[in-house]
Amino acid sequence: MNAIEIRNLTKAYPLFTVDDVSLDVRQGYITGLIGPNGVGKSTLIKMMLGIVRPDSGSVKILGCEMPKQEIAIKQRIGIVSDDCFYYEHLTIHDTKKLVAPFYDKWNDSKFKGYLDQFELSPKKKIGDLSKGMKIKLALAVALSHEAELLIMDEPTSGLDPVFRREMLDLLADMMQNERNSIIFSTHITTDLDRIADYITFINRGKIVFNEAKEDVLERYALIKGDMELLDSDIRKEFIGIRETAVGFEGLVDNRHKAAQLFGNHAVLETPSLEDIMYFTAKGGRVHA
Amino acid sequence: MLNLLRKDFIALKSSLWMTLFYLAVFSIAFIPRSDFSIYFVGIYTAFASVSLVTMIDIKNNNHHFLVTLPVSRKHIVQAKYITAILFMLFGVLGSFGIHWFVKLAFPQLNKPDYTVLDILVPMGILLVLTSIYMPLFYALSKKGAGIINAVFLIALIIMAQPTAFMMTLLNENHMMSSNLLFMAAAGILLLFIASYYVAVTLFSRKDM
Repeated sequence: MNAIEIRNLTKAYPLFTVDDVSLDVRQGYITGLIGPNGVGKSTLIKMMLGIVRPDSGSVKILGCEMPKQEIAIKQRIGIVSDDCFYYEHLTIHDTKKLVAPFYDKWNDSKFKGYLDQFELSPKKKIGDLSKGMKIKLALAVALSHEAELLIMDEPTSGLDPVFRREMLDLLADMMQNERNSIIFSTHITTDLDRIADYITFINRGKIVFNEAKEDVLERYALIKGDMELLDSDIRKEFIGIRETAVGFEGLVDNRHKAAQLFGNHAVLETPSLEDIMYFTAKGGRVHA
Repeated sequence: MLNLLRKDFIALKSSLWMTLFYLAVFSIAFIPRSDFSIYFVGIYTAFASVSLVTMIDIKNNNHHFLVTLPVSRKHIVQAKYITAILFMLFGVLGSFGIHWFVKLAFPQLNKPDYTVLDILVPMGILLVLTSIYMPLFYALSKKGAGIINAVFLIALIIMAQPTAFMMTLLNENHMMSSNLLFMAAAGILLLFIASYYVAVTLFSRKDM
């Protein structure tokens, strides 16, 4: 079953378009939504949540249609974003008093537990919280109403490495329940190297791939070799290529074909998600 | 719905005293000087309070947060209209109460006997103002809403004297027939209901 089903979602802005995106996010897994800044990750998430209205297309979350059943959907999802937009003049305690009654399954003791764990004082005003602390608060709120689906938009961008790891452990804990799912948008791909099961790569408003992480890493290859290996036909095999004074490194999306093509003349490595994102976004030839 | 109303009062907690402050300031400003002070105090206090309760939601783009809660946009608008009515009642009834007290405590100010009409007329004017203000508030951005607030405040100040003059004319010529009042009340209620539907439509289509 899918936690999220997106069909032909389109939103056009004057300088940018999320173009006919279809996507399934599997239930019971962590899906990482990756892509460079400004390619449509946040817009896609906002459209899922009804914050931005799509021009066309449909969104189903946990089997319910957006926006028709948005209240039922939002009872079952948690949202963590680097822009939480809470009331800045209120304290954390006031914010809890404001938010809790909206959720049928709000768990007050769980919330207090998370505040202790994240070292957030209930007396602290939202306006006095750092970006990282606001994300911690949003996470505490999201995890305190028994959300089945966590939708996270760049949640780790303002966090220190210690809490980032702590947060990833919390997400792993949440995934102990097979019913739960997480979609996690980020451009810090090392977080996804650790925890993601599926990767969705979005670039220039279009989905490049949506596959199991292991399959992606098996399919793509990073080729390193000397410049004399490159001719115009070989160059066409690369999604992106970076040339330096001592040689080149390039990304291909068919490891098997690349192995046949280069044999022992080049080194084939498993790329990181960051490599895939970098070479796909840059495309063509890059001189270092 | 109740949660959204509750939300307004939690969010306003530290600024609720401002509504009493408005009531006090406008009372001091208008009661000794104007024959129509009961209208002015009620309208100014209520509209300033309505502005306060709307601006609290956009100070930090809080609509972005509200639309992530398990409520529909229609309910967000509905709750704001109800809060606005509560603040209108506070302003108008507060003004009525203060004028009743002033008439007893300070007879030298020669305040007239007040009737139900002195509650209904400012209430009607406020419903008209809110009917125009709310759809604009939900259609515009944070900056636009701030401009609208300023425009309404200036318009209220400019319109005060002409309105007083018109009220005097209506009273002197006994033009306030029950038929006219009934028609005006019905028209205002229709305008208010239409305004609500327009605001819901505009806010539902708005991208955050």
